[in-house]
Amino acid sequence: MSAQNQEIAFDITWISNVQVNQPAVLRRAEQIQTRRTVKKDWQAAWLLKAVTFIDLTTLSGDDTSSNVRRLCYKAKYPIREDLLKALNMQDKGITTAAVCVYPARVSDAVKALKDAGCDIPVASVATGFPAGQTHLKTRLDEIRLAVEDGAKEIDVVINRSLVLAGQWKALYDEICEFRKACGDAHLKTILATGELGSLTNIYRASMVAMMAGSDFIKTSTGKETVNATFPVAIVMVRAIRDFYWKTGKKIGFKPAGGIRTAKDSLAWLSLIKEELGDDWLKPELFRIGASTLLSDIERQIYHHVTGRYAAYHDLPMA
Amino acid sequence: MAAAAATVTGPSAGASGVRSIFSTMDYGPAPESPSLVLAWLDKQGSTLGHFVNGKWLKPEGQEPVTCRDPCSGELLASCLQADDGFVALAVDVAGRALEAWSPLPGAARAQHLLRLAETLRRHQKLLWTLEAMASGRVVREVRDGDLPLAQQLLQYHASWAQTQEQALSGWEPVGVVAVVLPPAFSFIEMMWRICPALAVGCTVVVFGGPASLSALLVAQLSEEAGLPPGVLNVVMGTAPPETLLPGLPGVAKVAFSGPVQEGKALRRALAGSGADLSLSLGTESLLVVTDTADLDSAVEGVVDAAWSDRSPGGLRLLVQLSAYEEMLWKLETRLRRVRQGRSLDWAVDMGTRGPAAWERAQSYVQEAQSQGAQIFQDGSTPPQSPFFPPTLVLGLAPASPCAQAEVPWPLVTVFPFRTAKEALAMSNGTPRGGSASVWSERLTLGLDLAYKLLMGTVWINAHGLKDAAAPVGGCKENGSAWHGGPDGLYEYLHPVGIPPRPQGPPQLLDYDKFGLSAPPVLPSGTSPASATAPYGVFVAGRFQNPSSRSSRPVLGSGGRICAHVAEGGAKDIREAVEAAHKAAAAWASRVPGSRASALWALADAVSQRSQELAEQLVEVTGSDLADTRTEVVLSIARLRAWGAQVHAQGAGLHSAGPHGPFLRLREALGVLAIVCPEGAAPARLCVSHRPGLGLGQRHRRGAQRGLPAAGSPALPGHGRPAPPRAGERGDGRPRSSHPLPGPSSGRPCPVVLRLCSGTPVPARTPALFSVPLVEATAGPGSPKALPAPH
Repeated sequence: MSAQNQEIAFDITWISNVQVNQPAVLRRAEQIQTRRTVKKDWQAAWLLKAVTFIDLTTLSGDDTSSNVRRLCYKAKYPIREDLLKALNMQDKGITTAAVCVYPARVSDAVKALKDAGCDIPVASVATGFPAGQTHLKTRLDEIRLAVEDGAKEIDVVINRSLVLAGQWKALYDEICEFRKACGDAHLKTILATGELGSLTNIYRASMVAMMAGSDFIKTSTGKETVNATFPVAIVMVRAIRDFYWKTGKKIGFKPAGGIRTAKDSLAWLSLIKEELGDDWLKPELFRIGASTLLSDIERQIYHHVTGRYAAYHDLPMA
Repeated sequence: MAAAAATVTGPSAGASGVRSIFSTMDYGPAPESPSLVLAWLDKQGSTLGHFVNGKWLKPEGQEPVTCRDPCSGELLASCLQADDGFVALAVDVAGRALEAWSPLPGAARAQHLLRLAETLRRHQKLLWTLEAMASGRVVREVRDGDLPLAQQLLQYHASWAQTQEQALSGWEPVGVVAVVLPPAFSFIEMMWRICPALAVGCTVVVFGGPASLSALLVAQLSEEAGLPPGVLNVVMGTAPPETLLPGLPGVAKVAFSGPVQEGKALRRALAGSGADLSLSLGTESLLVVTDTADLDSAVEGVVDAAWSDRSPGGLRLLVQLSAYEEMLWKLETRLRRVRQGRSLDWAVDMGTRGPAAWERAQSYVQEAQSQGAQIFQDGSTPPQSPFFPPTLVLGLAPASPCAQAEVPWPLVTVFPFRTAKEALAMSNGTPRGGSASVWSERLTLGLDLAYKLLMGTVWINAHGLKDAAAPVGGCKENGSAWHGGPDGLYEYLHPVGIPPRPQGPPQLLDYDKFGLSAPPVLPSGTSPASATAPYGVFVAGRFQNPSSRSSRPVLGSGGRICAHVAEGGAKDIREAVEAAHKAAAAWASRVPGSRASALWALADAVSQRSQELAEQLVEVTGSDLADTRTEVVLSIARLRAWGAQVHAQGAGLHSAGPHGPFLRLREALGVLAIVCPEGAAPARLCVSHRPGLGLGQRHRRGAQRGLPAAGSPALPGHGRPAPPRAGERGDGRPRSSHPLPGPSSGRPCPVVLRLCSGTPVPARTPALFSVPLVEATAGPGSPKALPAPH
């Protein structure tokens, strides 16, 4: 993990003049999804790369230590060993980027990963996930407790009411508090873009979150009605690019929610490569929040290696 | 299955490849197979012929020319080059097919178009692969851009054909249409033209070059779709159209698309041939980025306009100074991400358009550099590559010679501007009038710029969006042809009952001598019969002394002098044009009602003196008094009728497709010049020039703004006066669904008479009027397609 981002002073001019043209962004989103086909070996390599970006996630009311433990082992062994060998990739240490759980399951995940003998970080959602409609004090406590339990990354949700009311400075202050509460843990800020009202608001919220010291900005909780979409992603990565241009700091991006197929993941990788460049194609700067994506990727890898599609029982469950 | 997988040997021969790709994360090749095209070419034999009269023709004795894939240089096929005789044959075939095709009910033609659409869909893969290989444009643009648009065009025009009898009553097809294709975009440019032409009942001869193999395929597929033989013919050749087309009496209209110079040459060559000409010239476009724009989206607009295979040509990019630095940074970043490569690769953005286009780009770059410009390219293109990389040209001043030239594809020449006003001055101060886009998130600013740009087509916060229902066209040196929408349809129609246009060389004035010396006129001793007019030329609302200070006699029908008029000269013309320019803006900006009142007042004035006017006409022309009276009465009626139509028709907001609405505007053309032919009688002069005033202004505008008619020297500072030419008619767009009354042909046109003097226009004096025209009578003007920002 790279060094943490630190907050910088709030500068309203970075967001006040910005306008995002929605139809133009929609057109670009349409284009970018289809323009970079990768085939054959390139497809296999890209899919394996996508595996290393996955924050393997379970965020359900019925999560228990048993299924969290299963998930952690899948994170450690995301692709069947023989398939990796066939691709001569068995020694590349391919694991998912992190495991992402609710705060109450952090200690289970930390223990399971320790048992599995790997140092995959555990990410915890926090701050009243997914709605963020709790008191600031309890939201901050949530972060501290998760960090105490061993979470290395905290996925916080922002207070949408501040965005919709245009209280950007207040939003900045809140995220700065989150930043402090995280201590050494990485801060990933979920913008819940489906609830921000406009692409312009999404750009502004992205910029404020980065100014306030977020290490990642993340599209959504996966619990909104609209989750990670390409237009939203384009606006967020453009904000990341502008922030880099202004400060020299590279901030990470994490789309989450609704990314289920291997084909989707390839489109997301090409989006990052096109809009941000190869520098961002590493787990320190790009994550995909997903729960079922991994099994589809594994199926595609299976097909690439064997020329046949796997039956559901051919691949180990998470 | 699990056992099989446990001992995988797999097809993955490139396992080490996966390893290295995993670390580099490069893109790989994603090729489309050329096999279908190769099989099709194979079936045609070693040489592709022409497709005429529903079959392949390979006449003996025509020089073959090779057609190569511009990306790889591989030989695709040899094409024959049509000679004069063969072109005449093809036109003749189309002429004979017209006899059966144009009387068909519109509904039957609609079915033909729909069947053609279905046939194109059946063979779409062959079509997109062939077009990509022959043109060098990437296959993705052809498949995702051109083919759906072609389908839409066929559907749209089929709808028009279906309702033709009701929707287009009073109009008939012009006849045989010759379509000259540009080398790039030949497939879709062909569809833009043949769809409306075929729909309204014209037959077509398409002239294609070696890069237009897809035109031959479309013709072949049209035969398969059951289109009658001879309705759509494709003739191959490399000879310039101006050498082939004139002298072909069967061609009613030539639709040309190509470089500006060739368009000018064709206009000269076609003058007097009787054929209509519509030109869409030039490829450069303009993009204006204000500091209130979404800059990232504007950068994508630049990509659409210049750095992709959607873009026809280069781009002039104006960026507001306060956003200049950021915009440049974003452009340079974006430029590095454009992928170039073989047109058959699905993951490539740009192909190449052949060695000639490469040379044009390279020489522009070299010239710009020598004039102090900085060039920015990615730098990863190897030397000797057939691909010209996307390029930024910075720091070129508008006054440097290179900045006047048309920017070639795929170059972007960037100019900073300080204020919106300055941006308008910079963009309107060039001869270009094609397409532009304006980028601002402020609705008022965006609309204001779009209104004031002298461009045929303006997009707001988008670039290059096309829709079958939204007309797209140009003005100034880009020519005045319109495509799409009803405007595109009327290109191939004329009002019912137009007599055949006179042919033969146009009546040309000797402009080298015109107005420079007055012929000697000595007192004749006889007193003119009617000497009511004051002496002088009528300029800026009053009679002035002519620069020549001499007179010329006006001879009556019996050879008797019936009046002396002031002899005008070049200086008088210049002053008249100046006066007209001064008056033009104020006249055009008057409320329509006020212009209508002025025209009606004029009609009243004529009406009061109609008896006197008719008598004078009889005296000068010797024609029958009753006929002359009728002529005068009809002229007055028409003046009134046009006064009633000052409210621009057809303008307004329209919705089209998923891209949002567009706004279609009609603009006054500005100052018109009319040169009266020798010996024409006044009222008939007005009649013969009605198209010039009513329908033909767009051509005239082209003439005035940089497409000079042959042989007419420029008036300093005012463009050129263009005589109405036999080869040049109005674009025939309807002003009204009911043609207005007229003495002979019934064409819906206005009449302008010079009445204030009380004397009709002298019969033997070339007179030049400068008439700032009423908006509604100024022809259809320029529709502007502007998808609204939201």
